[in-house]
Amino acid sequence: MSPVEIGSAAVVALLVLIYLGMPIGIGMLAVSFAGVAAIRGETVSLRMMGAVANDSLREYLFAVVPLFVLMGLLVTVSRVGKDTFDVFQKLLGRVTAGLGVATVFANAVFAAITGISIASATVFSRVAVPEMTRHGYTRKFATGVVAGSSVLGMLIPPSLLMIAYAVLAEESVGRMFLAGVGPGILIAAAFCVTIMLLARFRKDFVFEDGEDSAELGDMSIAEIARKSAPIVSLMLVVLGGLYGGFLNPTEAGAAGAFGALVIALMRRSLDRRLFWNLLVEAGQITVSVLFLILAATFFSRMLALSGVPRALAQVFLTGPIGPYGFLLVYLLLITALGCLIDSISIMLILLPIALPIANAAGFDLIWFGVLTVVTVEVGLLTPPFGLSVYVIKSAMDEPDLRVGEIFRGALPFVLAMFVSIALIVAFPPIATWLARL
Amino acid sequence: MALESDKTSASGTRNPPSSGIGRVWLVFVDALAALGTALIGVLMITICADIIARNMLGSSLPLVSELGALLLVMIVCLQLATTVRADRLARTEIFFIPFREGRPRAGALLSALFNLGGAAVIGGIASVSLSIFEKDYASGEFIGVTGIATLPTWPFRALILVGMTVTAIQFVVAMVGDLRDVIANRRST
Amino acid sequence: QETINLTIASSHPTVIPWVGMMKTHFMAKADELLAKTGNYKIEWNEAFGGQLYKANATLTSVEEGITDIGWVFSFLEPSKLPLSQASSYAPFATVNPPFQLEVMEDLMESNEALRHEWEQYNLKVLGLTSTDMYDIYTKTPLKGIDDVKGIKLSAPGVLGTWLRGTGANAVDGSLTSFYTDIQTGISDGVLSLALGALPAKLYEVAPYINRFDVGVAFSGAVAINKDSWDGLPEEVQTAMIEAGKYYTVAHGKDLLERHEAALNKMVELGTSQNPPVEIIKMSDEQRQAWVDKLPDIAGDWAADLEGKGLPAKAFLKAYMDGLRTKGEKPMRNWDE
Ligand code: NA
Ligand code: NA
Repeated sequence: MSPVEIGSAAVVALLVLIYLGMPIGIGMLAVSFAGVAAIRGETVSLRMMGAVANDSLREYLFAVVPLFVLMGLLVTVSRVGKDTFDVFQKLLGRVTAGLGVATVFANAVFAAITGISIASATVFSRVAVPEMTRHGYTRKFATGVVAGSSVLGMLIPPSLLMIAYAVLAEESVGRMFLAGVGPGILIAAAFCVTIMLLARFRKDFVFEDGEDSAELGDMSIAEIARKSAPIVSLMLVVLGGLYGGFLNPTEAGAAGAFGALVIALMRRSLDRRLFWNLLVEAGQITVSVLFLILAATFFSRMLALSGVPRALAQVFLTGPIGPYGFLLVYLLLITALGCLIDSISIMLILLPIALPIANAAGFDLIWFGVLTVVTVEVGLLTPPFGLSVYVIKSAMDEPDLRVGEIFRGALPFVLAMFVSIALIVAFPPIATWLARL
Repeated sequence: MALESDKTSASGTRNPPSSGIGRVWLVFVDALAALGTALIGVLMITICADIIARNMLGSSLPLVSELGALLLVMIVCLQLATTVRADRLARTEIFFIPFREGRPRAGALLSALFNLGGAAVIGGIASVSLSIFEKDYASGEFIGVTGIATLPTWPFRALILVGMTVTAIQFVVAMVGDLRDVIANRRST
Repeated sequence: QETINLTIASSHPTVIPWVGMMKTHFMAKADELLAKTGNYKIEWNEAFGGQLYKANATLTSVEEGITDIGWVFSFLEPSKLPLSQASSYAPFATVNPPFQLEVMEDLMESNEALRHEWEQYNLKVLGLTSTDMYDIYTKTPLKGIDDVKGIKLSAPGVLGTWLRGTGANAVDGSLTSFYTDIQTGISDGVLSLALGALPAKLYEVAPYINRFDVGVAFSGAVAINKDSWDGLPEEVQTAMIEAGKYYTVAHGKDLLERHEAALNKMVELGTSQNPPVEIIKMSDEQRQAWVDKLPDIAGDWAADLEGKGLPAKAFLKAYMDGLRTKGEKPMRNWDE
């Protein structure tokens, strides 16, 4: 068998194993090991797997994962999350499916303090989903909204994906950050519209009894201020730290976690035992997420060795299809890969091939980058491997919650993202206007 | 808010240990996880100390970013075994859950195969980690900058090795549990 | 005609000049040489840009055959490649990359300790890489080295030692973190090279390029796994060696030309920003002032390695002698 055939067989084998229910990380490691062993021998394959396990997670940036997770957990136990939701509910109380819209708003705001979508997914699956289910929303819709709006975390700056693209495409990190703002707002708006349409035309999708049971409690201005004070001060620490020039993302995570700890202690919602349990919980979530990233790293390295991505690119991209034909195929290719592998790996595999073509096609590389990032993020929501969905499943830890339920709930938001992508293709200034200012 | 405390600390195990060795193993795995858990706190405090040092004293603490990266790997490796025991590794359930409910024996056998796969790959990682540890120990591999501050990497490599080995054994334990289910189900039918 | 499959990889993307030249020069030259007889053809499997491993594993990945050929980033391997760090502890010794590469190439052949340092890791060195010159990029202009006292300067790893004695606070970082580090105020500037500063757009956040010409540093080698090497026919081996030499020479020349071009390009790109990019040329007195402030960093480094039984003093002397023989005039004789 040629390397390309081996790689293709490995992809098929992985799909089967994932379908059968093997832990995805273990499945990825197993087929990748077999693939590399077939291409370069068992010894090399074993060493490569060892190197991945020992060194691929050794990045300071990844330390933001446990820290933002811990911050999210602390915020949850100290009722800050619930309070924030009460405020949003009050503010958006008269809006149809107000809690859904509030989740999108809250995610858009939270996105400004995190560069990774998994943090958004974690925090809001713990904050927003219980609130929504308590108020009569279906769990499918509630988790779907959280999964969908978590993509804002890596679109609105700061963003890990934008940094990765900027490095590969030799674009300014600052410009790429700004380029995410317009599309971020567009997608947030598209999500709100989606929620309202669902609430009107597909009531059973949104509400358990077909009705919005959220009752409008009375809340005074002082009450709102009291309830928002902790979250606002936390955002001051994290946002102010990031943009005021004190902290990098990892440090913002540490300061945020520490700030959340202080708030939890001040509210007397934390004893020693509970704090320990929170740390344990943060650890478990961190492990299941990062183990997946570790395994995906080995998988994408196996693919790179097999030459499958290159062969795919050749099949799809050569021939008289024209720049926009290429763009369509490229975006479809990302979407397809998004079903299988993690965001950064997709960019790592495809961009070296796609960027020269995009350049030759005369595309604005900032616009091209935004389209890449948004489409890559669709992969967070698509089965069988949708990272945001698995993070939510992990963070919720409700045994009877199936990932399929979350994937179905996220589907309307995937469609909304495709509409947004079409809009960005048709109107490039949505992405480039702020960046080129 | 009630947290999944009892679920994450000792749950997951479908077959509570009856023997002394089983109990010792349980305590050992939990102790490793506890170390990993405590490291999250250490990570937070180290980074916060660095922020304070930089903004108040004007200079950053040495080694923080490299140490932070290594601590993260520690956190993952030390807690992997309990994550496996608690069955919290991400997986799809489209097929697996209905299959196991509908055909318990075949389901347990499939689960045993998955756990065998886990034991094999993680065991493989552990075996390579041993040579990585030996090499780092022999060559005096360090992080940091000669002349400013350095720290040897071998203690971290040793913990990775321990974490991976324990996880591989945990997969074997889970597989044995599955096989017991297979046998038990035969008796009951 | 026999086809030979070889994987060639790097931790860094091909936009980094010396990685790109692995393709445009090393691979192209080897192909060209082999095409002359037509006996062999190499089927390259390219895995540049960290597809197979990251910057923290460039040596072990070639050593263990994860790739056949790869760029080994010696900067990040101080404990495995200690002697190769010499130039990092001897700033202001040379500003001429081709000369430095020639000296290191000679040493790689004649100096037993250096050759053993590399070959013990199951690899064969084919070509060598260096850096262009380092300068200080800042938010506010400097008049001289005295102005860095008390400010925070980002520097990659070992180069933090170049700031010892200057009163600047060294903030550890890498080319990918510098932009945000400066933008967010984690540091006030950076000790960096033009070829890195240009693609990373550092001039956008630190527009004052204080040109100290601190010197160039040996950064690594294009190397092939020894097992893969032993399996190659002699004709292919010969072509590889020649292609490696060609790569080293072309890379040295490229560094020299590209450095000036990169500085000019940053000025050009930064004319419309506020404040515009400005190059502040430091006088030789200012450069000398800096090198005089430094403690004996090379001596400390050599003493540390001697303590571990390595002939670092002799190697440092051989390196400095090599430079002086080429006609270079180091601003400080680190071996004395
Ligand atoms: Na963000
Ligand atoms: Na997906």
